[in-house]
Amino acid sequence: MTVVAPVGAGTAASRAARVDASIARVLRAGTLLSIGLLAIGVALMASAGRSPLDATWPELDLGRIPGDLLALRPEGFLWLGLLATLSTPLLRVGAAVVGFLGAGERRMAGLGIAVLVVIALAVVVAQGTAA
Amino acid sequence: MTVLLLLAGGGFGAGIFGSLLGLGGGILIVPLLTFGFGLPFREAVGVSLVCVIVTSSAAAGVYLERHLANLRLGMLLEVFTASGALVGGLIAFLLPDRVLAGLFAILLAYTGVTMLRRGATAAREDARAVGPGADPADPADLADPPGAFRAALAGPGYRPARLGAGIGGSLFAGIVSALLGVGGGIVKVPLMHLVMGVPLKVATATSNLMIGVTAAASAIVYLMRGGIDPLVAGPTAVGVFAGAMVGSRVAQRIDLRLLRLLFVAVLALTAVQMTVRALG
Repeated sequence: MTVVAPVGAGTAASRAARVDASIARVLRAGTLLSIGLLAIGVALMASAGRSPLDATWPELDLGRIPGDLLALRPEGFLWLGLLATLSTPLLRVGAAVVGFLGAGERRMAGLGIAVLVVIALAVVVAQGTAA
Repeated sequence: MTVLLLLAGGGFGAGIFGSLLGLGGGILIVPLLTFGFGLPFREAVGVSLVCVIVTSSAAAGVYLERHLANLRLGMLLEVFTASGALVGGLIAFLLPDRVLAGLFAILLAYTGVTMLRRGATAAREDARAVGPGADPADPADLADPPGAFRAALAGPGYRPARLGAGIGGSLFAGIVSALLGVGGGIVKVPLMHLVMGVPLKVATATSNLMIGVTAAASAIVYLMRGGIDPLVAGPTAVGVFAGAMVGSRVAQRIDLRLLRLLFVAVLALTAVQMTVRALG
């Protein structure tokens, strides 16, 4: 005789656990990547004898980052590490949206999208008001 | 080289303290950078936001794996903390440093009082039962009808109450975070625990989860307006991360009562310095 579990029994909890686990992986990977890049940048800064309290710091220029990385210049690793740091929570929200959509929780996915819209708004507003 | 090591070492200390006392570390990093290294207040806030994101991301993954953080409640509230952080990030560039220093002094005093009271609150929380008749593993025991939005936010043995107050408080927490470079847990944890009825451990874990997104919203504003110095943020963030890792491993072996008193003394001294800066 086969025992059939009631429809939906235990599935909500297991889906939630899967979403939590996938988000935790995103956070762990993002943190390790961010800290790894920043640590390399700090080590390069130390080996070059540069002071963190230089009167001016290198401006963020996305186009220059690949060249700085290839030339082992600290600012390339530091900027990329900072961008990875800022992106990690946003990737976490993205992973949650995907997880909730997969679980059929459209309302929760909508909340995640709302968070991402606010972040996009922050980019637009900051760009518009930058000196 | 010396400054680099001092920055990383200062970040390490802030990371350990923050981790042991359940704070993001921002409350220590801003005074460290302004008083210790002479950075302008707004630049210190930008660096502190980066450090707060690092510690939040590292800790939030652990909280989620242990099923301590309420992801759904966190995602609802972080829509509003992020909105507040966006507004706060813009206001921060309009206010003079002295006003920000004055606000920070108020935050320090509030945090000190909260830390003194936290020991007793935590002890009461540990002793509190979930409630007679409720299955602590089954949110369906709660009174909401199935499918109701609030039921989706429920956790084992609790259902968040007063969502309107939670949303308003989250907006305020986001503004505080962006103005002062802190995670805002000092507002969010009491809000969720005392106002919304969420258990203290869940409130702490959920607040930590939300801090990353909250700080990212304002850090983007700081970054795009040239308010984050990568040369200072790099060593400080690496130090804070290392300190937080060490702190989480030694927390069980340290007498937190003595540490809490020491921390309150440091906060009081820093609050006085910030007040002098605000008035001076």
